[in-house]
Order: sequence, then structure tokens, then C-alpha cells
Amino acid sequence: MLRRDFFKKSLAVAGAAAVGSSLEAASQPKNGQKVSEVAFPQKRPMITYSDRPPLLESPRNVFSQAITPNDQFFVRWHMPEIPTHVDLKEYRLKVNGEVEKELSFTLDELKNEFEPVEVTAVLQCGGNGRSAYSPIAGGIQWGNGAVGNAKWKGARLRDVLERAGIKKEAAWIGFNGLDNAAYYETPNFVREMHMEELDDHVIVAYEMNGEELPYLNGYPVRLIIPGYYSDSWVKMLSNLTLTTSYQKLFFMDVAYRIPDNDCECETPGEKHGETKPITTMNVKSMIGYPTNDTKVYLNSHVTVRGVAFDQGKGIREVLVSIDKGKTWEQAILDDGKHGRYSFREFRYTFNPSKYGKQSIMTKAINKAGEEQPLAEEIQWNHGGYKYNGIDTVTIEVV
Amino acid sequence: MYKYVLTMVLTLLPLLAAEVKEDMQVPYIPYEIKMGKHFDAIQMHCLTCHSFGYIINQGAQSKAFWRGKVKKMVVAFKAPISDEDSAYVTEYLFKHYGNGKEK
Repeated sequence: MLRRDFFKKSLAVAGAAAVGSSLEAASQPKNGQKVSEVAFPQKRPMITYSDRPPLLESPRNVFSQAITPNDQFFVRWHMPEIPTHVDLKEYRLKVNGEVEKELSFTLDELKNEFEPVEVTAVLQCGGNGRSAYSPIAGGIQWGNGAVGNAKWKGARLRDVLERAGIKKEAAWIGFNGLDNAAYYETPNFVREMHMEELDDHVIVAYEMNGEELPYLNGYPVRLIIPGYYSDSWVKMLSNLTLTTSYQKLFFMDVAYRIPDNDCECETPGEKHGETKPITTMNVKSMIGYPTNDTKVYLNSHVTVRGVAFDQGKGIREVLVSIDKGKTWEQAILDDGKHGRYSFREFRYTFNPSKYGKQSIMTKAINKAGEEQPLAEEIQWNHGGYKYNGIDTVTIEVV
Repeated sequence: MYKYVLTMVLTLLPLLAAEVKEDMQVPYIPYEIKMGKHFDAIQMHCLTCHSFGYIINQGAQSKAFWRGKVKKMVVAFKAPISDEDSAYVTEYLFKHYGNGKEK
């Protein structure tokens, strides 16, 4: 593309800025944002909030299928300097700190020297849906699409650490990737996990949906922590460091935290002092089809499609309402063959019987009985995290 | 000659396949940002680490919010922004991307 064309086309993207709302409760997140005409490497055009670092959101129609295609999977980096090339001859995953023997592995060694395991798991930004909060919570005003689901293949983190020999005093695992800040003094995006959180589902993944990971999703290797928000799923993973005590880190101590009270809420005027990490995901469903701009014919056959997920307790049912929440009916769920950490596909068919606006709402309920609340019932937190309101789209019957 | 070229191509194929990870090019997107007093401070300090998109997609925010963001860049991320420039940046952000509220 000529630079001039590129410039013209990109202007359309710049319109993604959020507009304030004066409501006091949460409402539906932004909806129907346009995808950029400029595609990023290995990606189709996506909703683009920033090019540096890249912040790309999946459009709603992606969520009508259980597996999110790699080229439509959302992207979120924290640091501006992301490697634009990783030479596999040079690449190593290093294991150091409180281990018997410091080791480093090439990608081939990770693939060949450890038992490969697969897990299908949802990757969701803690700030997904943040634009629902009012007053506007700090951070990128994501709509619904900072989430995706993929089949990940890799080596168990435990196996990799055990190869190096975990010393008994090791209590924390630190993760670092190849991305860098613009200033040397800026702290790296390092995350930590307590050894107690390490289970066999946590893997260092080198395959995503049967392919290499796209660069923007962390090629060649990223951490997968099923059931958890994506803040610790470190991309372009380069270091695993075991320590005896918790290291004070900006991205652990300040970012990705919510009020440490029962409602996980606060008010802008009176912030709750104590905070905790966002950790595991709450129950949620999203409609992939139809979308807000869909027109359907009166009495026609409309099949609502979408996905539902939680932290791995398992989805029990998805309910659909076409009368603004007065009555709810069960949607048909898929067979769950991708496992408990995956999106479950659902579908629900109805025949619209009135002309004009028609709303469709979906609510997921998990096996622990936890339900998606109405958007209006969700209380505010300063970071705009963990939004999981009942999803709503409004179509037109013609 | 033909045979030679073919052999060469066949020999190169596996090499090419192993080298699919070329340098990737992340596109530059010229986000439209409002012009005004102290824009030069914004251009100098903010663009070092992030795009204008990162600013305009925060939504309309209070003066305290923007002041806090600038402070975070200095204190947590170690951006070398002087107190004077921090005040300019805050003033610009609140004027153009503010919600009119002090807090």
C-alpha cells in the first residue's frame, strides 16, 4: 500500500476514541466499533486502539465460534519495544534462581524433551469490557473483544522447572518476556506466581490452534494459565526465575488489582485501600451473531450464536431472553469437547414477531451456580476490571 | 542449466520454510490528536513510549486522573519528564481529553 493511502485509511481508525457517559452504574460496553483498514502482521483488520504498543480487539462476530482464529485473536502488549524478529538459533528459555542447576532450552528442546500437552483455554484481558463502567474507569476503553479461546500445545511448566531441580525454599516463580521499555530504567513486565498456584494445566505453549503462535500473540513461546485473566500469560517468554520471596514489582503491586472486599467494588470518591490481584475469571457469555447492525425479516428463522466460559468450574447453561429479561429460555450448548477452560458454543433460535427494535440478552450460569449479573448490577472499581454483565444486542426486524 | 536451477530451488526450499519468521513490520497509525497549547510537550514525552491512540482511548477523564497518569509515567515507568513539563502535559490532556471535573 502506498504510504498516502495508508495514511488516509488509518484516519478511520482514529475514531475509536471513547465518549463519556454520565450514568452511575455499569452499562453495556462499547459495541460495533469499526475494524481498522490497516492489518497488523499475521492478523486480519481488527479494532485498533494503539499501534505502539499494539492493542487490537476482536470484532463481535468472532464470538460465534468456540475456537478463535489466530488471525483474529486480540493483542495486548505493555511495552513499546517488542521484538520484530526472533531468531530461533539464538532463542532460549532460561530457568534460573532457586534451582539446583540453571538451564536454558531452545524451542526444539522444549518441543522434544518434554511431554507435549494440550489445553484449550480462554485468554481474557482483565480490562475486557472496561468501557461499560461509569464514571469511565482508567485504562483502554475495551469493548467486548479483548478475549479469545485457543487450543494451546506446549510443555508443562512444572516439567520444565523440575528439569532444573526446584529447591525446596523456592516459593515464587517470576516470568519475563522479550519485550522492552523505551527507557532502561522502566521496570520490565515481569509477573510472579506462587508455587502453590502451579498445576499441571499451566504450560509454556509453542503452538496455538495447531500453528506457531503469531508474533503479536507471543511467538515463539508464551505462558498459559487456564482460568486466569491474561495479565500473567507472559508473551515471548524468555526467563523463569524461582525466588524464595515475593519481588516487589509494579505490574504485580499496582496494576491489575481490585478492591479486596466482598463486592470487589468501591466508589470514585471513596476508594477501597486494600487491593488484591484479579486472578480467576468470572462467568460470562457473549453474543457473536447477530450484531447491533443486523436486520432480520419478520417471522424469519433467527439463530443467535455465541460463547460462554468461566474460570474452569464449567458452564451449566446459557439462558436467552428476547423480551428484555422478563422471561428466559435455555440455549443449546455444544458438547463441551474442548474441556472446562474453553469457550462453550451456544445457539438459540426464535422467530421475531414484531417489527422494529428487538433486543437479545444472554446469561451464562456455571456449575457452581454463579450467574452473569445484569450490567446495571455491576458495581464500579477504579481499574474497570472483571466486567461480566449480561450481554445484549439490539437488532432490527423489517 | 534447468536441472541446476531446479536442484538449487529444491535445496533451498527447506531453508526457506525454516526462515518464515522474517522481520515483521508493525504498521504506524497516525491517530488524530487535538492540537493546542503544550502539544509539543505531549509529542516529545508521550510518543517515546506509546502512540496517541493510547491517550485518546482512555476516554474523557478528570484532571486528577490525568495528573495521576503523568505521575505514573514518571514514578513507576521512570520517564524523564520535569515537574514543569508534567504540569504542561496534564494541562493539555485535561483541556482536550478531560471531563471538566477536577477529581
